Amino acid sequence: MKKSIKITNKILTYFLLILIGIIFIAPFLFMFSMSLASDATNVKGTFTLFPHEFNWGNYIKVFTGSENLGLYIKNSVILTVWCVIGQVFASSFVAYGFARLRGRGKEIWFMLLLATLMIPQDVYLIPQFMLFKNLRWLDTYLPMIIPNFCGGAFNIFLMRQFFMTIPTSLDEAAKLDGLGYFGIYRRIILPLMKPVLIAVGLFTFQFNWGWFNGPLVFIQDKDKYPLAVALKFIQSSQGNAVPNWHLVMVGAMFLTIPPLITYFFGQKYILQANINMGSAGIK
Amino acid sequence: MHKRSKLEKIESRWFYLFISPWLLGFFIFSLGPMLASVWYSLTDWNMFNQANFVGLSNYIKLLTDDPRFIKSLGNTCFYAFLTVPLSLILSLFLTFLLTRSVKGMKFFRTVYYLPVLVPLTAVSFVFFWIFNTQIGIVNKFLGVFGIEPLSWLYDEHLIKWVIVFMGLWQVGSSLLLTLAAVQGVPRELYESASLDGAGNVRQFINITIPLVSPVLFFNLITSIISSLQVFTQSYVLTDGVYKPNNAALMMSNYLYQKGFADFEMGYACALGWIIFVIVIFFSAIVFRSSALFVFYEGEVKKSEKKHKNHK
Repeated sequence: MKKSIKITNKILTYFLLILIGIIFIAPFLFMFSMSLASDATNVKGTFTLFPHEFNWGNYIKVFTGSENLGLYIKNSVILTVWCVIGQVFASSFVAYGFARLRGRGKEIWFMLLLATLMIPQDVYLIPQFMLFKNLRWLDTYLPMIIPNFCGGAFNIFLMRQFFMTIPTSLDEAAKLDGLGYFGIYRRIILPLMKPVLIAVGLFTFQFNWGWFNGPLVFIQDKDKYPLAVALKFIQSSQGNAVPNWHLVMVGAMFLTIPPLITYFFGQKYILQANINMGSAGIK
Repeated sequence: MHKRSKLEKIESRWFYLFISPWLLGFFIFSLGPMLASVWYSLTDWNMFNQANFVGLSNYIKLLTDDPRFIKSLGNTCFYAFLTVPLSLILSLFLTFLLTRSVKGMKFFRTVYYLPVLVPLTAVSFVFFWIFNTQIGIVNKFLGVFGIEPLSWLYDEHLIKWVIVFMGLWQVGSSLLLTLAAVQGVPRELYESASLDGAGNVRQFINITIPLVSPVLFFNLITSIISSLQVFTQSYVLTDGVYKPNNAALMMSNYLYQKGFADFEMGYACALGWIIFVIVIFFSAIVFRSSALFVFYEGEVKKSEKKHKNHK
């Protein structure tokens, strides 16, 4: 009797897991299916959830045609690589200070750091725009890249939590060997931090690769758009003609696949970072 | 003694050197612009004219004489008040299912997390078609039950739900955090509970949820802050015109319009401060009420100690 209830429960659980799983996967399938549609299907707007035609040529057309995706992908790659480099180095550098060194007013600065997590970007967007305009940074990637070289509050917090788990005896030993603070950071801490450095790098990549409103505001020259903004431009700038939705979806695939790849390669680190975040929340 | 304080001074200097990138960024890119924004918000500055001090009139106009702003406030609250609790419930429900010692837990976890990785531009394109009136799969599915096709994207009530569904589809980030926290719950607790005859659901409600409540709290705060700043979905879905009847116009969209289309920079800054106050207001409510539902391990240890002392 009890066993049969257990089995029914199990079946119900799997049924729900699979049903929800299908709902979660369907949009990916639809995107993929649309990206393979023909021009005729696009004009008629008769896309289907499951691909019924396979115009792989679409994946070449977007590079040779007016969509010119190659340019935008290149822009996105340049932009995100710099963001990742800046964020990983700056955040780890600042986090080392907060985790290991004693300084006057440290608690206040740390509280302030956490408080900035709650400030909405909207409150300083306009003056920031004016600042970048006066610096002649508009239409360059500097407004997106440079703030990363100052570290992000969330990543600094995450890395600081990670530092706390490294025993200070290592630092002490290094000090006896004559290493200064910078030496300890560079030689002892950085190598031990690889997992969290990778996690922060992945988060930074994923965020900036898809970031829309920043580049939308700071970049007006459409040849400099990153992919996420360029696709919106491509989709909406075809006058009265039917947008080439199938080609836009090829672009959406190119926008989606790199973050998926980073997840599959870095899954271990992302999960570990989540566990750290979770325990940070508990403690 | 003297020597020690000198060492401390040196260490303090190194501390400031290490945190200097963040300090510089904070002053140049956040605090400076925030202070400038206070000033601009009190002027009629529109990028071409000299800024004239106008007192609080931007704020007064926004709150009493700007139906578009009130509309965007209502839309944003609709989105936040549905998306935040619904994704909390959904992530708890999925956590419950995934912790039923099922096989393939890792597989399902990945499946539910993948949508988080999709950039919002791409999400909006796909949802635009999923909710298409003629060929969208949602209407096709509803058609199975004899429901007439709904005009999701062109009905001022339905389009708000489309944006909510996009938010729910990306529930995976809070799910991942909750799952990670659940794995830290000691197994003995469940064992002793099941000896006491508590069923799965009871165990989940009485043991799991209280023990992971700090993470739920963290999710709650971050999702409130981010959902009140929703921008991209509306912009992409409606080509930046927010039809029909401004139903998809969110506060951040309105700020963008005022600042970068109408060039009413002073007015947009005042709007930014109102968004700031709203975000802080709702976060503060959750913070204040957290004592009611957030359960910290430290409390148990403390009360255990007390218990022992009594013995």
